[in-house]
Amino acid sequence: MLDKKLILGVYDDGDKLLNAVIKLRKKGVEIMDCFTPFPVHNLDRAMGIKRTNLTVGAFLCGMTGFLSGLLLQFYMMTSHLNTFKSWPMIIGGKPMDYSMVPSMVPVTFELSILFTAFGIGILFFIRAKMIHGKIAQILDPRQTDDRMLLAIEPDGLGSVSRSEVDSIMNAEGAIEIRERNMDGSSDH
Amino acid sequence: MGHHIITEIENEKFEFTKRSRTIVGAIFVIGLILSIIGVVQLKGDNGAESHDTDATEQHDAEEHALNSETPASFASLQHGEEGTHEAPEHDAHAAEEHAADADHGDAGHGGGSWLTRLWSNILMNSYYFMLFAIAALFFIAVNYAANAGWATLVKRVAEAITSYLPVAFLTIVVVIALGHGELYHWIHYFKEGYAAGDPGYDKIMESKAWFLNNGWFFAGVPIIMIIWILFRTKLRNLSLKEDENGGTDYFRKSIRFSAGFIVFFAFSFSILSWLVMMSLDAHWFSTIYSVYNFAIAFVTGLTVICLFTLYLKSKGYMSAVSDEVVHDLGKFMFAFSIFWAYIFIAQYLLIWYANLPEEVIYYQMRTSDTFRPLFRTNIIMSFFLPFLILMMRNAKRNPKVLMLAGVIILVGHWIDLYLMVMPATVGDSASIGLLEIGMTMTFAGFFIYWVLNNLSKKALYPMNHPYLLESVNHDVGV
Repeated sequence: MLDKKLILGVYDDGDKLLNAVIKLRKKGVEIMDCFTPFPVHNLDRAMGIKRTNLTVGAFLCGMTGFLSGLLLQFYMMTSHLNTFKSWPMIIGGKPMDYSMVPSMVPVTFELSILFTAFGIGILFFIRAKMIHGKIAQILDPRQTDDRMLLAIEPDGLGSVSRSEVDSIMNAEGAIEIRERNMDGSSDH
Repeated sequence: MGHHIITEIENEKFEFTKRSRTIVGAIFVIGLILSIIGVVQLKGDNGAESHDTDATEQHDAEEHALNSETPASFASLQHGEEGTHEAPEHDAHAAEEHAADADHGDAGHGGGSWLTRLWSNILMNSYYFMLFAIAALFFIAVNYAANAGWATLVKRVAEAITSYLPVAFLTIVVVIALGHGELYHWIHYFKEGYAAGDPGYDKIMESKAWFLNNGWFFAGVPIIMIIWILFRTKLRNLSLKEDENGGTDYFRKSIRFSAGFIVFFAFSFSILSWLVMMSLDAHWFSTIYSVYNFAIAFVTGLTVICLFTLYLKSKGYMSAVSDEVVHDLGKFMFAFSIFWAYIFIAQYLLIWYANLPEEVIYYQMRTSDTFRPLFRTNIIMSFFLPFLILMMRNAKRNPKVLMLAGVIILVGHWIDLYLMVMPATVGDSASIGLLEIGMTMTFAGFFIYWVLNNLSKKALYPMNHPYLLESVNHDVGV
């Protein structure tokens, strides 16, 4: 691990960072990640980030909520599942059968939303490895303030030499180029 | 890859070719022919029926009472507490009215007559296509007021759709001026001028007389629409002058006019929807009705903007409109389909829960055997299908799928409006026949011709709009 060091380029402008990313990717360098204090337009595309699968998770969570909402109400309020025991729920004097489905719409709707919102939030935290209690690995304290970071893994360099990467990053106006241990154990 | 920032684009001009003109014109002509055939057919059926029943006055009166299902059911609800005297009284009333109508050479407001059905169709389609135009204007205004730049490229398309507004004004005024006798039974009621205690006296109608009267109806509706047209003309002129002279003055002015329009639109559209549509069921009311109408307007308006954009793109125009902009239009269609469903259930659920006779009659009529299939189709086509189809990102970025969803939305809301108009006017004898299809084709043909013709007159992009490049480089991320 000792010789594996992240290459960090520090920028003070989103456009400069974006141009550096574009140039580096053209040369065949794989970017590990960029850290910016605000969203930089087109950066995700330029970095070649793949689309997230979180939406599939959101859909499944929503379906779970939808079905549990329906099941909950059929279970508690009607005799369809043979679970109805004690106290009839009178809804507008309607019979306790499928004709009371409209009254189930709000609860089903709300549960779908609730499950989707919480589910996608939790899934995102899991996927981004932002588990509660975990100590944040900040590559450079300035990334939390007003600087942008471009991080490249040594394996991502491909056939491009280190000096070439440095010159490209400098040409696009990097304030500083530095290295950092991968595991974050000791700062360079 | 989408990271190349575009700093200038070439303007384009749409050419409405002879071939396209012929096709669109053919839709109009075929629609007109179908409508005429439909009318003749209906008139034939109608004439045969009345010939059979002409034998006795009594019989005719009964027939009329049967046909005029709608007012009858209102009346029976209304006078429910008066008990057993109600039915014969109503028959007598109907007979009397029928005689009066015959004197005026007027078929009366009873359902079933071919004239009622014809006017209902004209009203429905006038209103339907008016919604596109006003929603497009609202879309432009909202983008100005919200300082939004992403839709700048499709602004000219929206402007072209608003150019239909004067035509919509004409058609609606024609319906109001000439067809009101066939459609709005409250006008007949107030014509009679009942005093308290008279047999036909109607407490509910009298309590609405301050709003539901000829002044609001015959003056209010045209005035509202004329003010809309004035706003539209102003915004369009500012946009065209901006093309000539440039600068940000026109943009700032447009923001001010847009904000004014939005405020006026909120009030005026509500009033218009009450007068033109809700008063068809004059006894019934719903406080969310105008929001419901707005939901229809906005979702269909966005769909029409999207469909025209896709059409232009498929013809090789509007190459600067990236998938991102189309994607956002698709998102809007998706979101406002859900919004429509939300408003629909908000209106339906409260009425369904409370189960008050004077409210529930509206849905009683719309879920009768005649209309129940359409009622269900409406919900499926206006909400479930667009919701499921447009949920996936790839669907919103695929022109063909987006077009399919757009057509489903448009047909769904056509049924929506059909259900708002027909049960109230034509009643249970309504059906979707040649007249309905023909009339819609007539209006659609005319609308498309008008919009494309307007589109071909000016450049497709507002070149001096300050947010043009923002729209060109619009990006919603991976």
